[in-house]
Amino acid sequence: MSGIASILNTDLLVATIRLSTPITLAAIGATICERSGIVNIAMEGIMIIGAFFAAVAALYTGNPWIGLLAGVAAGGIFSLIHAVATITFHLDHVVSGAVMNILSFGIVRYLMVMIFGHPGTSDAIPVGLKAYQFAIPGLSKIPVLGPVFFDQTPIVYMSFVLVILTLIFLKKTKTGLHLRAAGEHPLALETIGVSVYKMRYLGVFISGLLSGLAGAYLSIENSISFTEGMANGRGFIALAAMISGGWSAIGSFVAALFFGFADAFQVRMQVFKVLNIPSEIFIIFPYVATVLAVAGLVRKSRPPKADGIDFIIEKEGA
Amino acid sequence: MSKMTKITVIMLVISMVFAGLIFANGGSETAPAAEKSKVIIGMATDVGGLGDKSFNDGSYQGLLDAKADFGIDARVVESKQQTDYVPNLSGLAEDGAQVVFAVGFLMGDALIEAAENHPDTSFAGIDIFVDPSKAPKNVEGLLFKEQESGYVAGVVAGLLTKKYASASDRLNDDNVVGMVLGMDIPPVERYQAGFYAGVKSVNPDCKVLSVVTGTFTDQAKGKEAALAMIEQGADIIFQIAGLTGLGAINAANEAGVAAIGVDVDQSGVAPDAVITSAIKGITRAVYLTIKADLEGTFEGGGNKVFGINEDTTGISPFNKWDSIVPGDVKAAVQKAIDDLKSGKVVAPASRKEAGYEG
Amino acid sequence: MQITKLKPLFYTVIVLLALVGSLMYFASIFSGILLILAAAVLYFVYYGLSVGKGASKALALSFLKSLLIPVIGVASALLIGGIIMAVTGYDPVTAYKALFYGGLVKNWSVSVLNAAPLIFTGLSIAFAFKAGLFNIGAEGQYYVGAVVATFLGLHFNMPALLSIPIIFLVAGLLAASYNFIPALLKVKTGAHEVITTMMFAQIARYLSSIFIRGMGGSSDGPHPYVTDPILKSNWLLKMKSIFPHANYRVHIGILIAIGMALFVQYILTRTKFGFEIRAVGQNKDAARGQGIKVGRNIFIALLFAGFLAGFSGVNQVLGLDHKLYENLNAGYGWDGISVALLASNNPIGVIFTSLLWGVLAAGGQYMSRTVQTPNSIVEIIKGIILFLIVAKYIYIHIGHKFKNKKKEEREAVK
Repeated sequence: MSGIASILNTDLLVATIRLSTPITLAAIGATICERSGIVNIAMEGIMIIGAFFAAVAALYTGNPWIGLLAGVAAGGIFSLIHAVATITFHLDHVVSGAVMNILSFGIVRYLMVMIFGHPGTSDAIPVGLKAYQFAIPGLSKIPVLGPVFFDQTPIVYMSFVLVILTLIFLKKTKTGLHLRAAGEHPLALETIGVSVYKMRYLGVFISGLLSGLAGAYLSIENSISFTEGMANGRGFIALAAMISGGWSAIGSFVAALFFGFADAFQVRMQVFKVLNIPSEIFIIFPYVATVLAVAGLVRKSRPPKADGIDFIIEKEGA
Repeated sequence: MSKMTKITVIMLVISMVFAGLIFANGGSETAPAAEKSKVIIGMATDVGGLGDKSFNDGSYQGLLDAKADFGIDARVVESKQQTDYVPNLSGLAEDGAQVVFAVGFLMGDALIEAAENHPDTSFAGIDIFVDPSKAPKNVEGLLFKEQESGYVAGVVAGLLTKKYASASDRLNDDNVVGMVLGMDIPPVERYQAGFYAGVKSVNPDCKVLSVVTGTFTDQAKGKEAALAMIEQGADIIFQIAGLTGLGAINAANEAGVAAIGVDVDQSGVAPDAVITSAIKGITRAVYLTIKADLEGTFEGGGNKVFGINEDTTGISPFNKWDSIVPGDVKAAVQKAIDDLKSGKVVAPASRKEAGYEG
Repeated sequence: MQITKLKPLFYTVIVLLALVGSLMYFASIFSGILLILAAAVLYFVYYGLSVGKGASKALALSFLKSLLIPVIGVASALLIGGIIMAVTGYDPVTAYKALFYGGLVKNWSVSVLNAAPLIFTGLSIAFAFKAGLFNIGAEGQYYVGAVVATFLGLHFNMPALLSIPIIFLVAGLLAASYNFIPALLKVKTGAHEVITTMMFAQIARYLSSIFIRGMGGSSDGPHPYVTDPILKSNWLLKMKSIFPHANYRVHIGILIAIGMALFVQYILTRTKFGFEIRAVGQNKDAARGQGIKVGRNIFIALLFAGFLAGFSGVNQVLGLDHKLYENLNAGYGWDGISVALLASNNPIGVIFTSLLWGVLAAGGQYMSRTVQTPNSIVEIIKGIILFLIVAKYIYIHIGHKFKNKKKEEREAVK
């Protein structure tokens, strides 16, 4: 079947990157967050918030870069709610995450009606970040892989850099090591005088920024407007990516690529109508792949020791 | 009583008083102030709500057009779940609406129920099939022959993609066109079947591709579907996917190829890329129905099919592409419209009828 | 006189009063509330007579206390919502008048219809939470229940008394088995059920289209993809057949839901299984130390959660729509999360939070229609109410600080 062979080309790989970028960003954010000991299932909601504010800011200033900053900032600020709820008020992490997701839909819907007069889709922004796509001279000419990694749009480049930065942060920097200690041996960390609370706040905040960036990608780089519900489950796939990647930066990246590939592949398979089966069978392919990945790979990794376990410093009175 | 208990009781009492204040005044029905002697026309949308840039918006536009021309009081309610359909439709009737519109096939049963309970109000359902043998006389179904609009759009695509590809840089010689579908539901399928037939009628060798995204609200999936087909040489992408389709149009625009919109004139989304749009004529249908009721010619108890003959279906103006599209293509479009009107050509309403596997 | 000898009599009367009263109230016969109140009063009277006046008063007080947090939470959210409305140019007083009138009086039947499926999914999620699991994929199990119920509803030609329970059971079991793989993976590999059940929910959502297409509707005509209507004998009983003046759409699904809530409460508090589930939910390792088979309990808990969520789908098909539409945005699985969290995972509490959610939804629609205030303010209010569950923890936190401060003051005085 020459038809199928024709889809195994550079375009497929470029599509893989395109589809995996938001997952990568949210997943490495989740990695940092969970490494500090806070479970974060609110990435879906934070992504939506980031996407919304990115689009609104880009619309009103006409500048997508401001949109990008707005999306990232909005994600970070929104995630602080999760931080306060879980760290200071000791609320169950999963419960708080679920509430965040629900809250995000309500907030966005109301703001949509306030700003645009109707729910659904925002107006189109004048310039998206796609317009700032650029190719790195020389490297982009490498056969097959050149266009994939070196002829991309801004946030995609950022995602590559951020994966490496996350790796360095977690493994080589003092703050990163403290952060990981907050998730593995919080008591030990406190005894050397570093605040576990502070480290966890940092972890949650960073994951908020990154999920916000993922959302901004969805609304102002991969498209030019915001649609309610446009995350469509990517926040949860990012969670799966982090888990199957073993709570590591590189692992999350690879897992995200895997899911992006599954989705890109599924679409192209439909174009060829290989088998005369209902299109829904193709559409569920990425979701089935996620389950298989989580099932097969989880055995090889374990979460940080103090992940999801509440940490309370009792300050006794006089 | 301990201090804690005292505080508890006090706070509880305060909460109850607060709640009570709200209740005390809500004992009577809140009837909205009707604008003096204006006819009220109501519309209840489906859970998709306004802002979908096609279906619900198109219907509401019909209401607004009627407001501009006839000075009616237009009321719209967005349903949140299926339990809201009947209360919304009945409620609008109780508010005194003369005509109540239900938008979308999911509201079919609710429409009939509401109509039965309010025999003095006219009801109309968009995309809702009313069974003439069973339905009450005050409800009318508004059905659309999307396949006819799809057919005309297909003629445009079929000619531009190969024979007249030189007319624009956005067109190539590969003789491939693509369709992006939202969910595989009948209105979408009708567009798809009609488009296929239209393409084949002027360009039998053209390769027609389709991808189903499974959602009407995921722009990224629409973009992906479009790009997958563009990679295979498609130079015209027909979107039948609501908001997902906006992603498809933008992808076509960014990739330097062309697109065709759906339901309403979508050239505004990407003026350089959108050749035309396959129109569903919902706006016109709503407008005409209101007009008919105001003039006393409302025909309940059956369906009104809006096809090419009612000048409500077809394609939108070429807008920016008007100078690009060759005269021969425009002539072919007119011929297709005439053939559909006269019945010489019947656009297929399903993939099976069109002989297309999708 | 041994008052306890009369216990069966008292309890029978109380249950009857509560049952008839609720039935009436759900059928929009609001005088039913008097019967419910009578039942409650009778309960406290019996308690006072048998245990002692003081204990009865304490019971009443503790009951009111437990209501405090949710009531304050809701009231505060409404207050904040009102401020938001006022700030953005809408009149909160008229809006709330419409909201409550619509939800509680005029369209109370809609609130009840909204609540029934929520109770089922809420129970599903609450039960799973008791075992320390997050059955976030309840939406998928809902779809399975709905599809199976439609299929059986189309083909089962038996008297309603027989067929309806069978349909519920079969659909519930199949919905339970839909959670089989996530449960297995959780136990064998530790795979987080949030991800697996979520993925399965998406799969169910897309695959249900295939089944719906296969169950009727012709693709030739203008009729869209909806299944044929199920046999009339498989319709859930309408309230109208008991109370002729009731709204014609309300059905007894709400009673089945409440019954199920009582059943789940019974399982959790009175059975060994329930005890083990709760122990596992509190502390897995401690439970294992006590000899409880943790893996087995988690497995069964997830399946039972699936069973409950499946009932939600059955309720909608057999009671409300009597058919299944493609492209139907149910959402009960997601709202079930809110409802369970708000009730602190208490099965009885789920009944009330579901009704609250139902009222807000129905009232919100009424409000948006009559006073043209955007419906989305209700979404915000729901979100704030939800977030104020944290109020419970803030309350405890403040309570601790308060206690510590008192301790410091006492020490300082010394």
